[in-house]
Amino acid sequence: MSPLETVLLAVAAIVAAPFAGGLLAGIDRKLSARMQSRWGPPLLQPFYDVRKLFRKETIVVRRSQNFYIYFFFVFMVFTTVLFFTGGDILLTIFALTLASIFLVLAAYKASSPYSFIGAERELILMMAYEPMVLLAAVGMYLVTRSFIVVDIARSPQLLVLSLPGLFIGFVVTLLFKMRKSPFDISASHHAHQEIVRGITTEFSGRTLAFIEIAHWYETTVVLGMVALFFAALPWLAAVAAACVFFLVILVDNVFARVKWRLALASGWIIAAALGVGNILVVFFLR
Amino acid sequence: MTAHALLIAFPLAIAIPLLVFRSRAVTNVLVITAAVLIAAGSLGLLLPQTSVLSASFQVPAEYLDWTLLGLELAVAAFIFFLGVRHLRHLVSFLALLQAGLAVATEILFRGRIEVVTLLAADKFSLMMAGIVGIVGGFIAVYSLGYMKAYHEHHREYRDRQPLFFFLLFLFLSAMFGVFFSNSLPLLLLFWEITTLCSFLLIGYNGTAESRGRAFLALTLNLLGGLAFAGAILFLAFTAGTVELDRLIAMGAAGGGLGAALIPAALLAFAGMTKSAQMPFSSWLLGAMVAPTPVSALLHSSTMVKAGVYLVLRLAPVLRGTIPGTMVALIGGITFLAGSLIAISQSDAKRVLAWSTIANLGLIVLCGGIGTYEALWAGILLILFHAVTKALLFLCVGTFEQKTNTRDIESMSGLIVAMPKLSIMIQIGIAGMFLAPFGMLVSKWAVLRALVDSNPLLVVFVVFGSSATLFFWVKWMGKLLEVTKVRPADETGIAVRQWVALSALSVLSVGLVGFYPLISAQLIEPYVRSIYGMVTTISQGNLIIMSIMLGMVALFPVTFFVYQRKVRVVDAYLGGGNMDSSVLFQGAGGQVKSMEMRNYYLAHLFGEKRLSLAGGIACAALIFVMFGVAL
Amino acid sequence: MKAFTKSPWVLHYDASSCNGCDIEVLASLTPLYDVERLGVINTGNPKHADIFLVTGSVNAQNVKVLRTLYEQMPEPRVVAAVGICATSGCVFRECYNVMGGVDTVLPVDIYVPGCAARPESIIDGILQAVALLEKKHAYMKSMHGQMKEMTIGRATALDSPEILALQKIVYQNEAEMYDDWSLAPLRQTLEDMRRDFETRVFIKAVVGGKIIGSIRGYMVGEETGHVTRLIVHPYFWRQGIGKRLVQEIESCFPQATRFETFMGDKSKHTMEPYEQLGYVAVRQEKVTEHRDRVYFARDREGA
Repeated sequence: MSPLETVLLAVAAIVAAPFAGGLLAGIDRKLSARMQSRWGPPLLQPFYDVRKLFRKETIVVRRSQNFYIYFFFVFMVFTTVLFFTGGDILLTIFALTLASIFLVLAAYKASSPYSFIGAERELILMMAYEPMVLLAAVGMYLVTRSFIVVDIARSPQLLVLSLPGLFIGFVVTLLFKMRKSPFDISASHHAHQEIVRGITTEFSGRTLAFIEIAHWYETTVVLGMVALFFAALPWLAAVAAACVFFLVILVDNVFARVKWRLALASGWIIAAALGVGNILVVFFLR
Repeated sequence: MTAHALLIAFPLAIAIPLLVFRSRAVTNVLVITAAVLIAAGSLGLLLPQTSVLSASFQVPAEYLDWTLLGLELAVAAFIFFLGVRHLRHLVSFLALLQAGLAVATEILFRGRIEVVTLLAADKFSLMMAGIVGIVGGFIAVYSLGYMKAYHEHHREYRDRQPLFFFLLFLFLSAMFGVFFSNSLPLLLLFWEITTLCSFLLIGYNGTAESRGRAFLALTLNLLGGLAFAGAILFLAFTAGTVELDRLIAMGAAGGGLGAALIPAALLAFAGMTKSAQMPFSSWLLGAMVAPTPVSALLHSSTMVKAGVYLVLRLAPVLRGTIPGTMVALIGGITFLAGSLIAISQSDAKRVLAWSTIANLGLIVLCGGIGTYEALWAGILLILFHAVTKALLFLCVGTFEQKTNTRDIESMSGLIVAMPKLSIMIQIGIAGMFLAPFGMLVSKWAVLRALVDSNPLLVVFVVFGSSATLFFWVKWMGKLLEVTKVRPADETGIAVRQWVALSALSVLSVGLVGFYPLISAQLIEPYVRSIYGMVTTISQGNLIIMSIMLGMVALFPVTFFVYQRKVRVVDAYLGGGNMDSSVLFQGAGGQVKSMEMRNYYLAHLFGEKRLSLAGGIACAALIFVMFGVAL
Repeated sequence: MKAFTKSPWVLHYDASSCNGCDIEVLASLTPLYDVERLGVINTGNPKHADIFLVTGSVNAQNVKVLRTLYEQMPEPRVVAAVGICATSGCVFRECYNVMGGVDTVLPVDIYVPGCAARPESIIDGILQAVALLEKKHAYMKSMHGQMKEMTIGRATALDSPEILALQKIVYQNEAEMYDDWSLAPLRQTLEDMRRDFETRVFIKAVVGGKIIGSIRGYMVGEETGHVTRLIVHPYFWRQGIGKRLVQEIESCFPQATRFETFMGDKSKHTMEPYEQLGYVAVRQEKVTEHRDRVYFARDREGA
């Protein structure tokens, strides 16, 4: 890709991703409501929420806590750009981890018990899904001989056919990353009886808006990775991403939240069984 | 070539006056000058573009043989008598065995084996020497300040600082000896000297507890030494040589047939005991009782690196063989188990110890795999780990010196109470696992090496590194949370300590920017010289990582730009705040205080259970390794 | 822009209610009434909330909690009292531990009567609260534009609640700095402040009808004026208001030849206006482990 193409893609990603992510968040809420026999908020509700948050006062517990959130946001945008301009998938995963760590550090900095618990649980969640994500990247390498997103996307093979276990495992990872039941133990829309707002408890106003927008970016990256499994047939990739998204919302509405032990165990067992199993098969069949 | 011999001899020469002169001023001057000279010297050796050098001393072979044997027997005798004196019969027995093997080798092969290359220095040795010289130099300077405070706080320990510094420099000398020796008996001599230094330094404070730990370390390292001596005997018997480069050439050419494989397996065993792989990890944990500079120098940055250095040297021999795979598995299991155990530790030094063991496991994994990619990754790991771990140990030591505790929970709010120190700890922690810092780059390299050769081993790396994420970030978080504003108090820390700490911090960060240069100049030539091929991180990715580094580096700037138009309120405590973020109204109208303690998950990742499991697994693998080799 | 109309987030607190109104509030979230279609989310966190929905007649134990939660809500915020108990205390008004309605503790913006208040009323109340939110936000924005119309003048005892509230906000910063929440200004009660009005001269700085700064002073002896409690709302720092307040209070004591004041040693920001006007530090004494007190003084020119 020429530098000009890269820059254009980057700009497109930076501008379009939040809109896409916000719309997805709106669809999420609408669908969830419909599944609960309610009308639900308008599709653009997440945008309304963010707009309101920008107009609120900023209150803090420790004065430096919001800086971590800004860096979380910046690195999340960076990750999105990295992924959609077709960079190295491992580097994308590492950048995503870096961004998430800034969020966790922000919660620690806030020095409040609920954000502290949210931070610890978020770390447990990260520990739970990271193996699966890395294994997915490894699996893609084994099939396409490359870690570069552009190469993987251009590969003529339909990855999901040789990596079905990794695909299913990755979808489970989505539940972790998108904070959906049964793995929404660190910050959930519904958990306020248990941990109030978890990680985001002590953030308000503009800062909370940035957290929300960063999550929109993250959603697009993660769904993009799902699409990579079907990249050989672009129309199928779009359909698959949509179906997976729907599935995640369905699972969210059907399952109750599990305890952290089960979340950690689930993440690891699925990674070990489906992930390693798939890799074994691919490796020996080569 | 004499430069290398000089580098070995110089610290030794400095060590002796350090033992003799008791004046603090003289010690200071000697140590600082020596540290600077050693660091400069080892760096200086890196600069001229010298390729593989070899040396031949104009010394008659026989004369050399007798000197060597004499020294080996002297060391063995010393250890023997130590064992007798403290009723540690296993130690005496092992020393006796080792001496016996040395004597047997000498008697059987005297005069029939000629040592062509006594000392050799290729890029790899030079890089290791550079690391030891620089990191060792800074730690020596740090010790000047630290030991003074150590003895002020612990008047119950006998002040044996002259001995301490003597041992420190003797150790540095021996380390250079290890890296520059091509003759295996010579290597073994230096190897055992480091074991001896480690023993004496662990037992420095003279208590019964530390003596016990020191003997544990001695015993396990002696086991390794015994294997080493056995390797020499076997090699002399089957191949008529006792030189490392010949062994490697044999192995690389012969594709791992028996002759080279058995000595390689024995040497790998020696390397693994020295770098505290499972099931031999207990000695490293026990060694944490020593003063901090000892932990930093010997037990994280340098001595244990000698062990993995040897394993990496053997990479061409182990590649593609079953013993090699066994070694890799041992490394992998150690990495996974060590990382999981570190989650359950709240003593900062133990966390660092387990993390060290785990990372050494990762390097051993690379050595066992032995491909050119793995070798590159392994060497890179050594580079970054040595610097960053030394920094972390010194920081924890400084913290302990000031507050008399090593518990991570006591570090709550350190960002306010000891800002400079806490920032350095954060640099160290970030350097251990966070993109785009060094260890992350190295782990990335390991992943790529593994996918090309043995994808199943990826399991260990992937699960282990997610565990490391947990314990590092929760430590970082503990530093940042502030529930009780304490006045900043970083007094009582010597300037020399600050110099060392700052230098290592700068180095940790700077290395990330400079590693492409180091890789191109030192690591890649070495790898290419063995395999003819080389790998590296692509240009594009390097640029991206530089951008990331730049962005992360902007973060400290935020400390100076404080938000003014924010309203400060208390933390959310369910509305029950009693005008405070910590005090709240509890049941019955009592005022209670909230506490935040990290998860240690000891019931899941308990040390006993996991080290037992890891130990059993690795012991089994060792049996297989030797079984197959034979 | 109708930002708040589309996204009002609610904090629901039960201040010793029988739970009847609470059930109705929660019923609003159910499919039959579904307030989420209006964008309402029941966040359990004051820091995320716009509307403070309180049920129950408020007892002695709740008073502090209500105030704490209200304080932890970012502006703009409104309080809605749901149910007749929250409005006035209803039949429990005379009970020994009952305060008698939310407005005995907090400034209430919307009253939703009923026992139990029906979900339709509650939703209606929320919508009206939302309109108020829009108004408050517009007011907040306009305040910044009204800086030029700031007035500085004498305050009276009627201003005490507002000045006390401002004092608590400003000294929160100080308390965080010294980690000492027992500072006298934070502990001062309304009665105490009203008494202060009898012995001290209060000056206030007003923008758009709201007090955003204050200072007070009194004579000690014949010739020395003592100046104290210079407070300016954090939003209006760095605009020279502190300096103007000090000048104003000094002009209230023409007979004084020397002015004195004191503050904590870390309160650099409070020292600035004084130092700019020529005050110098005269002595420093230890008050607590972490806090020293620095005394400043200035001799008037031509005295």
